[in-house]
Amino acid sequence: MRNAWQTLFAWLDERLGLHSLYQNLLDRPEPRGNWWNTLGSASLFLFLLQVATGIFLTVYYNPSPDHAYDSIQYIMNEVAFGWLIRGIHHWGASLMVLVVFIHMLRTFVTASYKYPRELTWLVGVGLLLLTLGMGFTGYLLPWHQMAYWATTVGTQIAGSVPFVGEFILKALRGGPDLSALTLQRFFAAHIWILPALMFALIGLHLYLVIKHGESHFPDKDD
Amino acid sequence: MNPETRQKIHEKYERELQRGERFWPDSIFKDAIMALAIFILLILLATFAGVHDSPKADPSDTSYVPRPEWYFLFLFKFLALYAQIPVLGKIEWIATALIPGLALGVLTVLPFVDKSPRRYYAKRALPLGIMGILVWGMLWLTILAEYPTVASDGSRVPGILQAIAGILLPLLAYTAFAVIAYTLKERAPRAILFTGLGAGALMAGFSLLSMALYPPSHKETVEHPTGLVDQIVAGQDLYSIHCLECHGEDGSITVIQGVPGLEGKVISPINSRDVLYTVNDASMAQIIAYGRPDSGMPPFGKAYNPEGLTRAEIDYIIAFMRYSWDDRYEKPEIKPLYPPLGAYEVPSYEVHIAPIVKRYCLSCHRPGKDSNDYFMDTYENILHSGDNGDRNVLAGDETSFLLQVIQGQPILNPDGSEEIGVMPPSGTLKPEVIEVFHRWVLMGMPRTAEEAARLTWPAP
Ligand code: HEC
Ligand code: HEC
Ligand code: HEM
Repeated sequence: MRNAWQTLFAWLDERLGLHSLYQNLLDRPEPRGNWWNTLGSASLFLFLLQVATGIFLTVYYNPSPDHAYDSIQYIMNEVAFGWLIRGIHHWGASLMVLVVFIHMLRTFVTASYKYPRELTWLVGVGLLLLTLGMGFTGYLLPWHQMAYWATTVGTQIAGSVPFVGEFILKALRGGPDLSALTLQRFFAAHIWILPALMFALIGLHLYLVIKHGESHFPDKDD
Repeated sequence: MNPETRQKIHEKYERELQRGERFWPDSIFKDAIMALAIFILLILLATFAGVHDSPKADPSDTSYVPRPEWYFLFLFKFLALYAQIPVLGKIEWIATALIPGLALGVLTVLPFVDKSPRRYYAKRALPLGIMGILVWGMLWLTILAEYPTVASDGSRVPGILQAIAGILLPLLAYTAFAVIAYTLKERAPRAILFTGLGAGALMAGFSLLSMALYPPSHKETVEHPTGLVDQIVAGQDLYSIHCLECHGEDGSITVIQGVPGLEGKVISPINSRDVLYTVNDASMAQIIAYGRPDSGMPPFGKAYNPEGLTRAEIDYIIAFMRYSWDDRYEKPEIKPLYPPLGAYEVPSYEVHIAPIVKRYCLSCHRPGKDSNDYFMDTYENILHSGDNGDRNVLAGDETSFLLQVIQGQPILNPDGSEEIGVMPPSGTLKPEVIEVFHRWVLMGMPRTAEEAARLTWPAP
């Protein structure tokens, strides 16, 4: 006799196609891999962790020059486990840049970007830029001295591009100087625009990885 | 790429799959372990390393040295080194836009440039060599970011050494790679490998040389308070330095005395409800920053007074005022600066002098500040540093310069001019604090609490 779980599973499977999902997504053959292959999924894990901790932070964070700093202090000192969540988000950002970069290096070294995985690489470059963009926009949010002046210089650098520099500078800062508008802009980019793009590109990236399968480590015949 | 090559690639891949593993559970298992390790690492970092915030942003404090996230440091250093190249260095956008843009562009179109189907490492010496030098260079530039480009004596040598390591050698290596790849063809990989290793070793060598010869300039490590208690204490320190002479220790002064120009001026006590209830934090910060020029209170904001207070410091003062005087705020328990001395007790450096010096003296007596090179940051320095290091602190000697100047007696030159003014230069220490210094010096400057406990005051 089938127990209740099996019945439930059969019911769901018929409607959701769980079994074919399992076959297509999980029960796939792969070339023999090693720990270098975990870096992509580690990037994914870090991204999801950043999303989760980031959502928590937005509950208390206030993106205005008057209150941003204090709201972070509040998270660190008053909110239960706020220090832990912020700590994870802070260090997770650094680690994500590192892991994504090493992931890129590994796909470069094993020449995984070659036929038929050219687009996987292309999307990957987009992801690298977005990751750095997240780091850059997130750094300003605590509105402390280091962030303020580093961003002043950072946007200045972007502003030195010939011809369009002036425009880029204004677009980033929302005016000639860093102001409440800049903070608002960086906040919007950090929690809406860049993550939305990242979700889209990660989806595409993973689709391509599954479609072509992971590349094998090259040997003398390759 | 012709259809046969593609066919061959697919056939090879199929064979690899045959002798491979399953995504579930083999790969997922490793992925899960990796994720767990990362998670644990992050919790450890968050708990033990914490997050280091600097003080609140202050647009008027342009003296602040900006420091980007560590993963952009290599770019900062690259720009600094590039800027000192003669002529070319003046064209800023080559370094800020063109070179990073080119690097990114190459990375983007890489699969469409490097179209050969060869994947084995030994057959790809050129791209691996280029990437290797690039990453190696980024690494050294990141490390060098802590080190000065121009030495403290104005010498340009460190910058030149670093530019050789971070710009010139990579360029030479790339040129060599290109020449080798063109001329040697079949035998190129080996030559590229050795050229790359050689260039890498030289890059490391020049970086290390510059690091050894020109260590980082002593950074001003100003601790800045994070918790509420620390902020209130910091606010009290700042208040006693800047506000005390007019408003009094507890903000109760109604008639200013002893301040030139304001003698006898009647003011409202700033610890009263009248002031605290009607002025909110934002207006309070403005009053402190702009002062009350019409009534005689000077501006304290950095924007109006280069010696003034940063935005964060003003906030600490406000926290101190609120939690000490405003009855709507409950003051958290704050430990006294040092445990009060018993009648026969002898103070020690560790328990008494160190916190007192930190609150009343260290703001001026540390490296980078002009105070006769008398650094009070360590026990040894308090005893021996300074232009008058042999006279400042003498065991059992009432004429120690330190004791004289904190008791309102300046040290005079033979011609009658002041060699050392009274300390601290504005305001005077509380009698109990002076007593701590006094007993400490007369009893021979005990360092630890145990040493001090063996002594009794006064000496028999
Ligand atoms: C040189 C003397 C002087 C110093 C130093 C000084 N003040 Fe004042 N302060 C004044 C005078 C004078 C007034 C005007 C009082 C009045 O109009 O009743 C004033 C007014 C104020 C008020 C507003 C009171 C009200 O009635 O609204 C506040 C708050 C205040 N001071 C805080 C501070 C703080 C904090 C500091 C230290 C950073 C400081 N002051 C340093 C002289 C001084
Ligand atoms: C506002 C800055 C400032 C503060 C605070 C300060 N000093 Fe000084 N101190 C100086 C300066 C500047 C000199 C150099 C002599 C001069 O200009 O009078 C000096 C010199 C001295 C000297 C002589 C050093 C030498 O070798 O010539 C002693 C001793 C001294 N200070 C003790 C103290 C003590 C003790 C404290 C804390 C209670 C203190 N100072 C707080 C600025 C300060
Ligand atoms: C947020 C950032 C990223 C995420 C979440 C991500 C995720 C992944 C995952 C899960 C895989 C499969 C597992 C693996 O091979 O490690 C993968 C493969 C791959 N990634 Fe990424 N990636 C990111 C960034 C990048 C970047 C920056 C590049 C390069 C510019 C890149 C290029 C590739 C390539 C070429 C593959 C195929 C590897 C192969 O088939 O062997 N990815 N990625």
